[in-house]
Amino acid sequence: MTATEEPQTISPESAEKRDLENAERSLIDASARGPVLTFFTTAIFWLLVSCVLGFIASLKLHSPESLTAFGFLSYGNIWPAYNTAMIYGWCSLAGMGVATWLIGRLTRVAIKAPRILQLGAWFWNAGVATAVVTIMVGYNSGLEYFEMHKAARACIFIGYLLIGIWGLILFRYRRQAAPYISVWYLVGAFFWFPWIFGTASLLTSMPQIGGVMKNVVNAWYQGGLFNIWFGCIGLASAYYFIPKVINRPIYSYNMATTGFWSWIFLSGLTGMTRLSGGPVPAYLVTISIAATILTIIPLCTVTTNFVRTMKGHTSKMIYSPTLRFTYVGTIAFSLAVGLAVISSLRSVDEVTHFTSWNYGQVHLMTLGFFSMVMFGAIYYITPRLVGCEWLSRTFIRLHFLGSAYGAATIIGLFLLSGLAMGQTLNDSTADQPSFYNVIQNGAAYHAVKTYIGYVIFGLAQFIFAVHFLFMRLRIGQPSGEPTLFVNPGEAH
Amino acid sequence: MEKPSTLFTGVFGAFAISCGAMVLIPYSQFGGLQPQYKWEEGQSQPTEVYPLDVSQEGKSVYQSNGCFYCHTQQIRDEQNGLDIERGWGPRRTIARDYLYEEVPLLGSTRMGPDFTNYGTKEWRNEPADDIKKPAKRDASWIYLHLYSPRTIVRDSKCPPYRFLFEKKKIDGAPSPLALPVPVEKGYQILPTREVEHLAQYLLNLDRTPAVDELKVEVKPEAKAEAKP
Repeated sequence: MTATEEPQTISPESAEKRDLENAERSLIDASARGPVLTFFTTAIFWLLVSCVLGFIASLKLHSPESLTAFGFLSYGNIWPAYNTAMIYGWCSLAGMGVATWLIGRLTRVAIKAPRILQLGAWFWNAGVATAVVTIMVGYNSGLEYFEMHKAARACIFIGYLLIGIWGLILFRYRRQAAPYISVWYLVGAFFWFPWIFGTASLLTSMPQIGGVMKNVVNAWYQGGLFNIWFGCIGLASAYYFIPKVINRPIYSYNMATTGFWSWIFLSGLTGMTRLSGGPVPAYLVTISIAATILTIIPLCTVTTNFVRTMKGHTSKMIYSPTLRFTYVGTIAFSLAVGLAVISSLRSVDEVTHFTSWNYGQVHLMTLGFFSMVMFGAIYYITPRLVGCEWLSRTFIRLHFLGSAYGAATIIGLFLLSGLAMGQTLNDSTADQPSFYNVIQNGAAYHAVKTYIGYVIFGLAQFIFAVHFLFMRLRIGQPSGEPTLFVNPGEAH
Repeated sequence: MEKPSTLFTGVFGAFAISCGAMVLIPYSQFGGLQPQYKWEEGQSQPTEVYPLDVSQEGKSVYQSNGCFYCHTQQIRDEQNGLDIERGWGPRRTIARDYLYEEVPLLGSTRMGPDFTNYGTKEWRNEPADDIKKPAKRDASWIYLHLYSPRTIVRDSKCPPYRFLFEKKKIDGAPSPLALPVPVEKGYQILPTREVEHLAQYLLNLDRTPAVDELKVEVKPEAKAEAKP
């Protein structure tokens, strides 16, 4: 319980009711303990792995002569391994952990047979490990963000089925009649993922389907992966924790409905902007551009809803780590969608396409939005599972600063170097710059990104991992009072 | 909206629309794409077929080393970027160009030059009159570039692929394939079979033949530069 949640005066009946609810909650939390902690622990392991891989990959972009002794450290192997560890390792596992806990809380059902979820988590982990190792030793399917070997895909899919189907069964037993907004988003994400993952695996491994159709499927898959899978789990978490921590309902239920449906219907159609100008029928790209521009609707409703809910309560970010991480994450979400709208326009895309701008966009979604929201959720959930509070507010503060500034540096420099590259690439003046100038223009940004962005971000995640390890070993503050940045009394 | 059935139906509907519009319709449209034949009167066989279904062993080397993360293989049209003006190809690429490729390695980012038409003589990566332009980009040029990119292109950010080469003792006369790089006395650096395939693959990249989809003539300047 955060301090802000406690009501001032309570009648005896409502006190009894509250005690009952609290007892029920702790039962549900206890049932989720095993799987959720497995998800979090393995996710944080992959987060550390991806920080190291990301640093090496970024290093290669400006110092190509470093670490050249082994083939598996080559940029073409490290970069996809980094993305796989980040997307399927850290982001997906953390997301499923938070989703499991949320489903228990929101449907008020204790998780039955939690070992099934744990088994699913280990299958998923085995898949990610296989994927990262095979990519590093030279297997590559040729499809971006979906490079993994068939064996890894099968492992991940089996893992997912165990987790997803079990989640669905639990949803059937729910005791909360009307599903809360977060539940809609979770249903969206958990329904969508097996379909895109399964369809993409099937279609890309069929020999009958060749040529650019594979790239079309891949672009569609990426759209679903980033917008629906990560977008929906992240928003589900934000819609739960923001109202929870500030202890007031979400500003508008209608707006949330509009935001949800428009996001689900539109963002699934945005994938083809990745093939803009490419060898595919122009109408496909045009549909995606139109859909991307229309995501202004969910962008506005979701943003307004969060901002209005937080109105008058932004000062609570001083105290609550969960709120600070989550709210910063939602701001990154709005930025990511806004940026996607702007860069889908053909005139902008002409410059930014084929540059590291697209990496900036992906990192804004995964590091800026999703990871921040997940950190916020993990800070809230873990104490309720292990029975003690976070050890050190300084650790949390350092983690926040490192994550926010590190991620901002990484994202910002990907975007800036993309703009610089795009400008030179499309310079049509009489002395057209040579392509070597294009590369030189990008290199300076990458150096700063490596030594400042990835180092700061990586150190922050190391602190976070150590802190989490303490929690698992039950080294922390005594249960009851949450670890806040500042205790409410000290603020003024 | 409150009802879970509405939720499930809605989410499924959204997925169906997305999958239908982005995957099924395009598949029905160009899933059965055929190569382009040119017939001359009186001939029983087509005189020209494009593209040809040739096996490309080097493509798997290109793919497994992740070359496509930095090198695209797609050209946009003139209204959309300066790919053609840069000398990377005479026309935009279309679906038919990749007809026989199991997975076309289109790429999404250009940390290095585009390779759509790397094998053609017209391909260049610098202004047409740049002194940096090498006289010939042949297999031995590619070997040297892969072994040590910056000895040959000063500003390159391409990583070296020394693990694709082997150091062998000179047995009798040095091999004609030996790379002109500093090496221990009595030894030579030789390309492996993998890198030979890779070079062959790169030198075969040619998506310049005129196609029916683009009725526009191939730019005359691009033709004029053909043989310097």
